[in-house]
Amino acid sequence: MDLRLKGLKAAVTGGTRGIGNAIVHVLAEEGCALATCGRAPERIESLRRQMDAAGVRFHGETVQGRDGEAMRNWTRNSVEALGGLDIFVASLSAGGGTDEERYWYRNFEIDLMSAVRGVEEALPALRQSKCPSILILATMAASETFVAPMAYNAIKAALVTWSKQLSQQLAPEGIRVNCLSPGPTMFKGSNWEMIRVARSRIYDNAVRQQPTRRMGTAEEIARSAVFLASPAASWCNGSHLLVDGGFSKRVPF
Amino acid sequence: MPVERIKPTDFTRTPATPAAKPDFGSATIPKERYTSAEYMRLEWERMWTKVWLLGCRMDDIPNPGDYHVTSIGKEEIILVRQKDMSVRGFFNVCLHRGNRIMVGEGNATSFKCQYHFWEYGLDGAFENIPDLETFPQGAPPCKGLREVKCDTWNSFVWFSMNPEAEPLLDYLAPLPEHLEPYHFERMVKVADMTVEWDCNWKTSVDAFNESYHVQGIHPELLYFIEDKDVQIDCYGRHNRYLVPFSTISHRVEETTEIPHLIKHAMKEAGMNPADFDGRVTEVRKALQAFKRKHGPAMGLDYSDLNDDQLTDDYHYNIFPNLTLNTHADDLMLFRQRPHPSDPNKMFFDVFIFKLLKKDEPRPKKPRHEQFKHGEKSLGLVLDQDAYNLPGVQAGMNSDSFDGLWIGDQELRIRHFHHVLESYVGS
Ligand code: FES
Ligand SMILES: [Fe+2]
Repeated sequence: MDLRLKGLKAAVTGGTRGIGNAIVHVLAEEGCALATCGRAPERIESLRRQMDAAGVRFHGETVQGRDGEAMRNWTRNSVEALGGLDIFVASLSAGGGTDEERYWYRNFEIDLMSAVRGVEEALPALRQSKCPSILILATMAASETFVAPMAYNAIKAALVTWSKQLSQQLAPEGIRVNCLSPGPTMFKGSNWEMIRVARSRIYDNAVRQQPTRRMGTAEEIARSAVFLASPAASWCNGSHLLVDGGFSKRVPF
Repeated sequence: MPVERIKPTDFTRTPATPAAKPDFGSATIPKERYTSAEYMRLEWERMWTKVWLLGCRMDDIPNPGDYHVTSIGKEEIILVRQKDMSVRGFFNVCLHRGNRIMVGEGNATSFKCQYHFWEYGLDGAFENIPDLETFPQGAPPCKGLREVKCDTWNSFVWFSMNPEAEPLLDYLAPLPEHLEPYHFERMVKVADMTVEWDCNWKTSVDAFNESYHVQGIHPELLYFIEDKDVQIDCYGRHNRYLVPFSTISHRVEETTEIPHLIKHAMKEAGMNPADFDGRVTEVRKALQAFKRKHGPAMGLDYSDLNDDQLTDDYHYNIFPNLTLNTHADDLMLFRQRPHPSDPNKMFFDVFIFKLLKKDEPRPKKPRHEQFKHGEKSLGLVLDQDAYNLPGVQAGMNSDSFDGLWIGDQELRIRHFHHVLESYVGS
């Protein structure tokens, strides 16, 4: 199946690590030009070298996700650097945290508002595209009780709601909006890698609930994500795809 | 990224520049030092009875008449506060027929042996010998209890069974300069435990003198400390290493989420991890700056400590048997004591002291608890060490094992043996 991504332009927030990074690589392999942002300058640089080596047009910036202006600027700069935009993927996340009220503000700014701000700035360019699409990364923990009640889970749930309603609003303009919720995902430098070593009981508990007794890989999430965002998924709109290897037990009628 | 340490021009009272690296060769360390009864005997004769040893805290015996009985190998020593507030120490042995006189801790006006009521003053001198006239030879000519050398430093009481022992401060040199900035006298004891372990006392000392085993038995600490890039310094008898805390090991990848032990350290200092937008590897320096800035308002005086000391573990071995994990807010002090007769057994004392905030009421002194390995938890990290040690001791006793194969990360073990040899011989 041809995903028909060749020659398209994609911007991915939080593309220097983990799932976001895997999405960047799959999109690049499929022939897209890429823009991304992240917190670590050396990761942006190493990604730039990889993209250059692969002959992929690339724009990368160091951005602190809590900084709304920086997020908007990066989106506008990306559109300019790539000469337009077809796909916007909101993957940036602050991760979990409990027992502090301030995590609500943290996840609000970094998980929710970075997506809202990025989409707002991307819309003018997406309206010019022939096959525009927006993909929002949420989490399985938004709809499945997981580890502990926390801001991360609930704020991600807000993204699910928002993306669905956004899809209704933008559908007449031909812009598709979809949402993908990954289950626990393991990759080099992932929080789960840390939890496996530093809090092994939480890790063991999570893996036990996984029917295959393993976590997903970033690539496994990325392939589903790239499909949803691609023109090949033209009839997927307002969908919320759970990619968790069977972790969640609920039957979503 | 190498660990960022304070620069030579930065404020410090504790010397922080690396000491010259000694060369102790690479020979195998004979395992008999850990397993043989003969070596244990020589160690007693030539080392334990010659060195200065830690007895108790000065605030264990604050008032005249307060006493504390401490033990080392087959000996027990009564440490007692005199009327003039000085501290003296005596063998806890009645001169009549050898009975032990005092136990534990308390206040006394005299030391009275419960066998035949021979009685000694706080200064050790005979006070009363019932029916003295029935001893044709009179009272023992020594005038009273056999005394040991006694001195105090940095809130602790020390003793030496060696009448010729050099002054305490000379023995401890150069560590007084290193450790006084921590102001142990402002700290209070919050835990006091003794555990019997099935290993030689040195097997335990070694376990704290290297961070090489963190990847093996404390993997969760890889997300709290730098275990490999540590500064090791050897000085005369004693040694130390400086272990960066509130950071991650170079053996693991940096995560986006701050590992929970680092979050805990931040919260303890009043710093909210949810508001920290830097990277995990940036927490340590930020936490130092935060403590420097907010410590005084929290009633914590860090003014004599350098920035690294606000987060890191300055970890000392005071020869022979003291392990000090010194931190800005606490001191975890381990004392390893030999068993009276069995080289395969030891006593592990854990004392934890906590820095009090200004005007913070002193908590009640903890009761001393003594138990055997496994009966009670010492906390995850010490439990991991304790669980491992009997296996090390058992393996060392195997005929197939010749000795300790020591690497550079274990330089402190080599240094320790170098000092031990200077007492016991090789
Ligand atoms: S042994 Fe002490 S009084 Fe007899
Ligand atoms: Fe240990």
